[in-house]
Amino acid sequence: MTRGIDRRDFLKATGTGLGVLGASSLFHDQLFAGGLPAPGAGLFESRFGVTQEMMAKVLSTALAKGGDYADLYFEYKIANSVSMEDDIIKESNESVVLGVGIRVLAGKQTGFAFTSDLSLAKMQQAALTAAAIAASERKHSLPPLKAIKLPGQYYVMAAPLAQAPLPDKIALVKEAYAAAQGHDTRIKKVQVSLADELQYITIVNSEGLLVSDARPQVRLVATATAEEKGQRGTGNGNAGGRVGMAFYQQAGTTPKEIGTQAAQQAILLLSAVDAVPGEQTIVLGKNQSGVMIHEAVGHPIEADGAWHKTSIMWDRLGQMVANPLVTIYEDPTIPHYRGSLNVDDEGTLTSKTMLVEKGRLVSFLHDRLSARIMGVTPNGFGRRESFNVPPIPRMANTVLAPGESDPEEIIRSVKKGFFAESYFGGQVESTGKFVFAVNLGFLIEDGKLTRPVKNATLIGTNIQIMKEVDMIGKDLAFFLGTCGKDGQSAAVTAGTPTMRIRKMTVGGRA
Amino acid sequence: MSAKSQNLTQLAESLVNYGRKQGATEIQVRIGESRDFEARVFNGSVEQLTESGSRGLNLRVFVDGRKANASSSDLSEETLHRLMDNAIARARMGGMDAFAGLPDAGRIEASEAALQMHDPAILAMAPEKKIAFARELERIGLADKRVKKSAGSGFSTGEDTLVLVNSKGFSGSYRKTTVNCGVSFGAGEGDNLQEEGWYESSTRLDRLPSPEAIAKIAVDRTVRMIGARKVETQNVPMVTDPQMSARLMGFLAQCIGGASVSRRQTFLAEKLGQRIGNDLVTLVDDPLMPGGIASRPFDAEGVPSRRTAFVEKGVLKSFILDTYYGRRLKMASTGHAGGLTNFHWLPGTSTPEAIIKSIDSGLLLTGVMGQGTVPTTGDISLGASGLWIEKGAIAYPVAEITISGNLADLLMNVEMVGNDLHPRRGMSAPTLKFKQISVGGKAKA
Repeated sequence: MTRGIDRRDFLKATGTGLGVLGASSLFHDQLFAGGLPAPGAGLFESRFGVTQEMMAKVLSTALAKGGDYADLYFEYKIANSVSMEDDIIKESNESVVLGVGIRVLAGKQTGFAFTSDLSLAKMQQAALTAAAIAASERKHSLPPLKAIKLPGQYYVMAAPLAQAPLPDKIALVKEAYAAAQGHDTRIKKVQVSLADELQYITIVNSEGLLVSDARPQVRLVATATAEEKGQRGTGNGNAGGRVGMAFYQQAGTTPKEIGTQAAQQAILLLSAVDAVPGEQTIVLGKNQSGVMIHEAVGHPIEADGAWHKTSIMWDRLGQMVANPLVTIYEDPTIPHYRGSLNVDDEGTLTSKTMLVEKGRLVSFLHDRLSARIMGVTPNGFGRRESFNVPPIPRMANTVLAPGESDPEEIIRSVKKGFFAESYFGGQVESTGKFVFAVNLGFLIEDGKLTRPVKNATLIGTNIQIMKEVDMIGKDLAFFLGTCGKDGQSAAVTAGTPTMRIRKMTVGGRA
Repeated sequence: MSAKSQNLTQLAESLVNYGRKQGATEIQVRIGESRDFEARVFNGSVEQLTESGSRGLNLRVFVDGRKANASSSDLSEETLHRLMDNAIARARMGGMDAFAGLPDAGRIEASEAALQMHDPAILAMAPEKKIAFARELERIGLADKRVKKSAGSGFSTGEDTLVLVNSKGFSGSYRKTTVNCGVSFGAGEGDNLQEEGWYESSTRLDRLPSPEAIAKIAVDRTVRMIGARKVETQNVPMVTDPQMSARLMGFLAQCIGGASVSRRQTFLAEKLGQRIGNDLVTLVDDPLMPGGIASRPFDAEGVPSRRTAFVEKGVLKSFILDTYYGRRLKMASTGHAGGLTNFHWLPGTSTPEAIIKSIDSGLLLTGVMGQGTVPTTGDISLGASGLWIEKGAIAYPVAEITISGNLADLLMNVEMVGNDLHPRRGMSAPTLKFKQISVGGKAKA
């Protein structure tokens, strides 16, 4: 629960991360007669009776003790899931999240309270609790709330899963299930789940901001276990984003392909050997290696670690933190990706943000608090899992820009080494030590991928390893992740080309 | 029963009755209500204060062996009735699962009072005192010159009320208080930084150690890592400190969980009644431990809690089961819907000092990173840090290495078990010594 203990971060590259959020929907027509409402503060008024006048009153109460900034975060989220196992539709889930989080800033201090009860009395009570962080005579006259319109729409709002009939979703799940099961007779167990959510938020603050967003999030996950002569292997496939039903008809993300991917991985793992332990040359495949930059660079430059001076990167702005070949940026405006955002959870508009330019650290990822403490403009990375936790700096879609090398050439350049294909996840400490756990890899022998390798952990310190990145491919692919930090999860992606790390420690059995 | 529990019980009962009228054959409703306080301190000042009251409801519905779930933080009747209607409709579209359903109502023997789960002193503690405790944790640590910086401290308290009602006549509730506090520090130079900390949890205020005691552990854990280095790739004996022993035990628990077993996603799926470890391995879960941090009178399905030995002198005696996976595996639920409680590796007779003394060259594991534990195979591959042991004594700290092995091998090769079990956390274990682990690090010179 303390900062230090909680701050070790954790990224699930695969699995059912989103499933935790709950999840299936069927009769939302009862909830929203005539279709889903457009995003806007109107939803909280029409459905829950919260008028703009009430919002202004609560803001004013939040600043009654002399705080210098306050915001309210209204959230209404419906999440659904349906899963298949043992050849049947095993269960479905629907969850509703409703509430408001009230935050007051006084200098570097935060007062926070929340309630699921949106009556004026309960909101005022919570506002008073949050207000107590401050103790000054300062009086505010709040500007009137002015709604801003979002300049970009980075989500697919057509044919949302939140409104799709359950049988249509079941059809997708069954298709992935059949593909995995039918791939090979050695596949003994398949699980498939489809999770979707639709989150409506409205943010108001003491600077007069009023902004609303409606965010879909969808993910189809298949897990397959293969068994042969006492050997077992479990593989995963998944695809999703801020998309609608049409996404699963597109080549590359059809349920069939997702199920097949899980089965293929499971089969390869049947013949996988242990990694050779020790320092060696590593090639990271493009498909899922975003986990590496997420841990090695992304987390250490989230600005909460910078202003607390706990991150190894806190004093490196303007300095070389990676090989000059390395350029890394954040882009929450990539259309329809899992980490895409029209606006962050503090009402800051999002934009493409350069982080590491040719090896040099040029920006941190800020929320409002870190930006005000460090004297910069917030750049749109204040995110929160839900109304009941305060925002913190987070990643969205993190990209390591493609380079010049031919991916084949990168593999050919390694005489003896290790190729990482898919991951269980990664983790980083604020000291910069990070790991990523490889589910499936390959030995590289004389410039060729040879035997499959199972369960290997790679470990290094970020500043050293980012200097060891010495070949970057001209390809690029993204993986979908659920990132954990300070007990909050966030949907993210990270994209990387094929790349070579000259030397890194691999765990394995001697 | 408190007035609060009574109100929540009425709400749960009325929803069960509504669901029955709408055509569900079995229904379970759980409602939780929490009051929480948290103070975070950084460099002497309060960085964040959070206070909240929240509620959540979870319902499970069965229609002739077809299942659906729902949950909500909005407890308005309109929303709950809609969720129930939707759940019943969704259940009808699901597959028939012969094992799905609620347990028969059992008799709850243990009371909230007997389990010492609720301590009014925690709730009565003034916020200023909680903040002062967190400040003190940080101040004491920063007074040590070897500590370079604070990574924050915190103090939190909570009271949870839980109510569970089902259509087979079960109705139960309990309240529980918890207090948590902890602190982390940074040390080291240049690119070789260390960050470590310590926290404590309790259901009773008078059992919380002093700020001095907690800060001292946090400082010791931090400064002993200063100057950590890599070692060469090699196979050596490994000692796990109690936290790392517990982590290993957590992996074992995953491998004997009913879901993993039933899905055959664990290497222990066919090992019931067989030897999976040597005589030094005895693992017990005790939900009825008075004052235990995870104690509970009944599980998340209302099955009465009881003590279970899962592994006894190396023999696998039981899987960890709820009603559903119990039925699938043709066994009774062990009362573990919602997970394990106070899960302990029973202590041995060796002192931790004697264990270290027995090693000529080896690793004392104090930290791991990553997700490389695979139930399907038992394989372990993790980032690691700790202390290197030479000639029976701690020689120097090590970091940025990996450990690799297999759980099956480790359990058969436990060589010593410490006498230092301190069951303060849900999952607790003593210091353990294992015959061998593969360490990945520098190339041999």
